[in-house]
Amino acid sequence: MTGLEAWLVVGLGLGVIVVRRRSVATGLVTVQALVLAGLALHRAGTSSDVVVALALAARALGLGALFLFAVARSREQQPVRAHLAPALRAGIAVVLILVLTGLVPAFGLTSPVAGRAVLALVGTGLTCVATRRATLFQVLGIVLVENGLALAALMSPHASSLVIELGVTLDLTLIAVVAALFHLRIFSELGAGDSGALRGLRD
Amino acid sequence: MTSIQVLAAATVAAPIVTAVLAALVPARWVARTAVAGAVPTAVLALSLAGLAVADAAHPVTGRWIVVDAAGGLLLAVIAVTGLTSVLLSPAWLRGSSGSLVAGRRRDRVYYAVLLVFWAVLLAVPLAGNLGAAWLLVEATTAASAVLVGFSGRRHALEAGWKYLILTSLGLGVALLGIAILAAGLPGGAGGLAWQQLATFGSGRPAAVSAYLLLLTGLAAKIGWAPVHNWLPDAHSEAPPPVSALLSGALLPAVLLIAWRSERALAPVIGLHPAQRVLIGFGLASLAVAVPFLWRPMPFKRLLAYSSLEHMGVIALGVGFGTPLALAGVAVHIAGHAAAKALGFHCATPLLAHEPRAASHPVTGIGRTAPALGAAIGVSLGALSGLPPSPLFVSEVLILAGGFSSGRSWAAAAAAVLLALGFLGLAHAAIETVAGKAHGRDGARLPGLRPVAALAGVSVIFLLGLAAVAPWLAGTGFVAALERGVP
Repeated sequence: MTGLEAWLVVGLGLGVIVVRRRSVATGLVTVQALVLAGLALHRAGTSSDVVVALALAARALGLGALFLFAVARSREQQPVRAHLAPALRAGIAVVLILVLTGLVPAFGLTSPVAGRAVLALVGTGLTCVATRRATLFQVLGIVLVENGLALAALMSPHASSLVIELGVTLDLTLIAVVAALFHLRIFSELGAGDSGALRGLRD
Repeated sequence: MTSIQVLAAATVAAPIVTAVLAALVPARWVARTAVAGAVPTAVLALSLAGLAVADAAHPVTGRWIVVDAAGGLLLAVIAVTGLTSVLLSPAWLRGSSGSLVAGRRRDRVYYAVLLVFWAVLLAVPLAGNLGAAWLLVEATTAASAVLVGFSGRRHALEAGWKYLILTSLGLGVALLGIAILAAGLPGGAGGLAWQQLATFGSGRPAAVSAYLLLLTGLAAKIGWAPVHNWLPDAHSEAPPPVSALLSGALLPAVLLIAWRSERALAPVIGLHPAQRVLIGFGLASLAVAVPFLWRPMPFKRLLAYSSLEHMGVIALGVGFGTPLALAGVAVHIAGHAAAKALGFHCATPLLAHEPRAASHPVTGIGRTAPALGAAIGVSLGALSGLPPSPLFVSEVLILAGGFSSGRSWAAAAAAVLLALGFLGLAHAAIETVAGKAHGRDGARLPGLRPVAALAGVSVIFLLGLAAVAPWLAGTGFVAALERGVP
């Protein structure tokens, strides 16, 4: 993996942290996943690798379509504002990425750059879930984490396991479908896809 | 395929076939189909569990499937808990209204998702490698989140959302740990079989990082403190039969994956460091749970915090790792599942008898509904560890195992926390059953008859378990638990 490719996927992830509109964030995550699918196809050496790459691409397009459908069915009067300013959210993400890359030793991917990119995507996803109130952004945070893990599988020095790769894709799709169902129901119940309004259960 | 592998496949397939049938049959047959399919599912799973435990010295291991002593124990627990959940679901469905899905499809969707959730849960202890185990645990999230939010009420949506997001994120972190392991194994992601994890070749620091990420991620699903935030909400807002399955079966099933990972990676990262992480989670869970057990709580929320406490106790037992402690773990998993499932099933008639119980602590149930009060008393008494509860015996075994393993400070701290937890929960049991009673309508108690029957069976089982528990430590079964997957 080249430095440019790593910066591209991480940059797209950081974009999700700062953008305001859900549709734009969905586009960024979809492009990121398609870049990963392209990388997978480029590196494919066996028919299994091709199947994995095509599954990644199908997942990217399928989830993108699902999230855009959810956005269309839950038009907000005004975007759900996060508690933190975009620059602060980006700063938190960068700090978390630096902490993760500092704490986790190199773990044997085909390039050290790929290892750092994986940790950066995981850190970006965690930050997205923790700092964004809009329900759809929280789901996108999980997809960012999973994209990072897809990159780890892609850059593994060993052959991938088709069953596990396809299983992960299927699991994430299921989670995303259930999350979209919840998002729509929360929107119809509260009038906004705002996780900040879900604070009735406290001890 | 060997006969055991065929039996394992049939055990997982039976509830899936039943789910498909429940989705297709005419509406009036849905509940009967689910019950009719649940009984053979439980029989198959218990047969497989019986074979695994009876021949604990010779586990069946392969790349994708493992049938061993620990898996057998969990299979039995999941089978019985799942069966009671299906059998007691009609009473809850009759007494509730509203759902995530349209009214006329409500029962059909509920049973189909419940049976799929049960099927995936039954597969978790049979997973022969870490990758497959992760896939199955993640699959339980999708199904169980739908069930947690099934009533469609605002609080249920909140609980379902938190559960979905926090556990998915946790499992993402666990998958990062698995990715690190896969990169350092000769077979990559295909080499994640339990027996092969010990061949990890990227060095101890990377293995320690992977183990910490894996356990932290799984902790979010098990509900170990400090990553337990979803647990009280999900358990209190889910339909009672689902809460029973979540607490009695899902949490220990995921804990089994953490346990297997600890055993499998111990040769690389060292047994004591691996165990210390589990002991840390155990003590943290106890310390967080105990103050809540002292507070007046809505009934199901009280049970949820009790789950946090008991998952902490099991983590301690696994972390101590001696035969005494592991005997305690086995008894604790079985006893907790029986007592906790009974407690959650009591919530169905309780919420009809006293609707305020959904959001307020209730008192004096035994005065206005004696049979229900007795069932609640059995559940809370057993969960508090009141002798002759098997959970009293198991906690003594685990603490004794802790002292005998040389971890006196951890065992002493656990003893103090357990004593405080006992006082809190025993006080709650007395107040709930025999406290001051308000005027209540005792006529409408849906599901009381099956709950009373379940209470009777549970008493026999719990007393039997308490009787055999002290003799378990020297058996081949516990020796097999100590060995892990060979």
